[in-house]
Amino acid sequence: MFAQIFINRLKCLLRNRETVFWTVAFPLVLSVFFNLAFSNLDKSETFNPVNVAVVNDENYQNNIFFKAALNEVSKGDDRLFNLMEVTEEEAERLLSSNSIDGYITVGSSLKLIVGKSGINQNIIKSFIDNYLHTFSTVNNILVKNPAGSRALFENLSQRVSYTREVSPSSAAPNNVLNYFYTLIAMACFYGCFWGMREITDIQADLSSLARINTAPVHKMKAFIYSLCASLLIHLVEMAILLSFLRFVLNVDFGSRTGYVILTVILGSIAGLSFGAFVSALVKKSEGFKIGIMIGATMIGSFLAGMMYQNMKYIVAKKVPLLSYLNPVNLLTDAFYCLYYYDTLKRYAINMGLLTIFIIVFWTGTYLVIRRRKYASI
Amino acid sequence: MVVKVKNLVKRYGNLVALDHLSLSIEEGEIFGLLGPNSSGKTTAINCILSLLKYDKGEIEIFGKPMSPESYDIKRNIGIVMQNVAVYNELTVYENVNYFCGLYIQDSSTRKKLVDEAIEFEGLQDFTRFYPKKLSGGLLRRLNIACGIAHKPKLIILDEPTVAVDPQSRNRILEGIMELNRQGATVIYTSDYMEEVEQICSRIMILDAGRAIATGTKDELKSMISLGEKITVESYFVSQEQVEKLQRLPNVVSVEYKDHHLVIKSGRGFNNLEAVLDFIRRENIEFGKIYSELPTLNDVFLEITGKNLRD
Repeated sequence: MFAQIFINRLKCLLRNRETVFWTVAFPLVLSVFFNLAFSNLDKSETFNPVNVAVVNDENYQNNIFFKAALNEVSKGDDRLFNLMEVTEEEAERLLSSNSIDGYITVGSSLKLIVGKSGINQNIIKSFIDNYLHTFSTVNNILVKNPAGSRALFENLSQRVSYTREVSPSSAAPNNVLNYFYTLIAMACFYGCFWGMREITDIQADLSSLARINTAPVHKMKAFIYSLCASLLIHLVEMAILLSFLRFVLNVDFGSRTGYVILTVILGSIAGLSFGAFVSALVKKSEGFKIGIMIGATMIGSFLAGMMYQNMKYIVAKKVPLLSYLNPVNLLTDAFYCLYYYDTLKRYAINMGLLTIFIIVFWTGTYLVIRRRKYASI
Repeated sequence: MVVKVKNLVKRYGNLVALDHLSLSIEEGEIFGLLGPNSSGKTTAINCILSLLKYDKGEIEIFGKPMSPESYDIKRNIGIVMQNVAVYNELTVYENVNYFCGLYIQDSSTRKKLVDEAIEFEGLQDFTRFYPKKLSGGLLRRLNIACGIAHKPKLIILDEPTVAVDPQSRNRILEGIMELNRQGATVIYTSDYMEEVEQICSRIMILDAGRAIATGTKDELKSMISLGEKITVESYFVSQEQVEKLQRLPNVVSVEYKDHHLVIKSGRGFNNLEAVLDFIRRENIEFGKIYSELPTLNDVFLEITGKNLRD
């Protein structure tokens, strides 16, 4: 009986193009849009050297300390400046054509000429200020304590930072990942469409298709067999989505692949159970139920940071309870925990809460559909 | 006794959908449940199938009490619901195979039964079609094939010919009679009296959840006073002529409306000759004249004061 119901159910569900679109094609298309929209976010985090010119005159050539300092920060892959040594006229021309962010003239003092204000201009200014400050300090020490010059130069070459950045993770923070993680969570919850379909087709008061109620088959067993088909389809869909994200869009899930798969499985079960619960509980039209499910999933995704990443942190700060009551956020956060944190404590809390949601949804569904006789059809 | 229902009461709030309904159906019968819309036919079927909770009463099928867990009883019942209950995503063959599979586990037996059901309903040329590609009549036949493929002993058909063309309707009715000849007991609900009259061996007329009459069609017709109805299509009949007709022996009523003169006579007498004599005598011009025996609608009309399809 299992094979009979399971195989026919697979055929039935897979040929339902509308549900297949919403559960697999829509998240895939959305992920491509996300990739197009957010791929530049990470690029903006990488530093591009500032284009700067210095007027190459006698003063510049004579100021060997400044020249050495400027050349030092304009070398290598991690250089601060793309330095051009040009005449003043050429520097002016380059500035006018926005080819450089500013140019420096060396005279009795150092002058920075910029066309506008901005981050790059501030970087050049900071460099000059820092140089002047260091030069002045060195000068004073040499005048007052010439004997300490050796130690001074050793210290200068080994600058010490007195603050230390401590990361809770070996992984690098990533602004974009959360968008993709909310997308996966949303896709998991789109399994609600399959859950709804299962309830509709098994309940004699919801569908004329529920011949199963008049057949010599245990209703709950038939429901579970059908549900297995739905779960299998949804898991395959999620596998397609994850593979696409990982291997085509290069979304990083960290190194805990097993836990990622476990999270997707639990998320898919949560999505199915959510759809079944809404469908069993709400005695309205199918369109109304779909509205509730899409609405709840999209609100959950929004609060988890799908449309605005900081929303996740705003909710966590202002209404922390809401972030625990939002299963989409729990899933999103679980993925992020797996990627970012070295420990599994927070991940375990998320999964525990999600499991409670699943239990609540299934218990509610069972209490409604266990009825074998209906008050009205 | 295949089906026995005793004092079945079903209420929806203050509305009594079934009012102490009792019926018994013998093996080999085609039992018709006839009644207008909302008379309780489908509610009665759903209660018999244990789909609906009921407030009072007892239901036995094949001599055993019926409940949702009566799988041994359900195994021998075939259902054809009023609404077409097939999967749009499965082909004709897959639909019949799926529903038959809920009853028959052995795949070779099932294949044989599915093929037979498809042939029986004349769907051989449409086995790869999806239901949406089928006409209304073919869709109804698919609905029936899904319900009968497992060769049930009791077949319940709830208005299976709704919105079906006359050709498909005849085919469906002939099919039901054939199933009955092959040994199935049939419960057939409809608000089409002609269908019920054509195929049912015994009929129960329902109105407002109550059984108002039960019997063979002849028994039902013998319950009323009407014997013969003569209709004359005529352009003009005067009021005086109508009154004269009313005075003819054994005439129960005369009505002239929309150029149709309807003369109803009491049971046991034939008035056609007397009416023809009168028409000739009075020089009444007429187009057609025909005589009918009472129908089930006349039975329903006389008992309830309203037409079946009002």
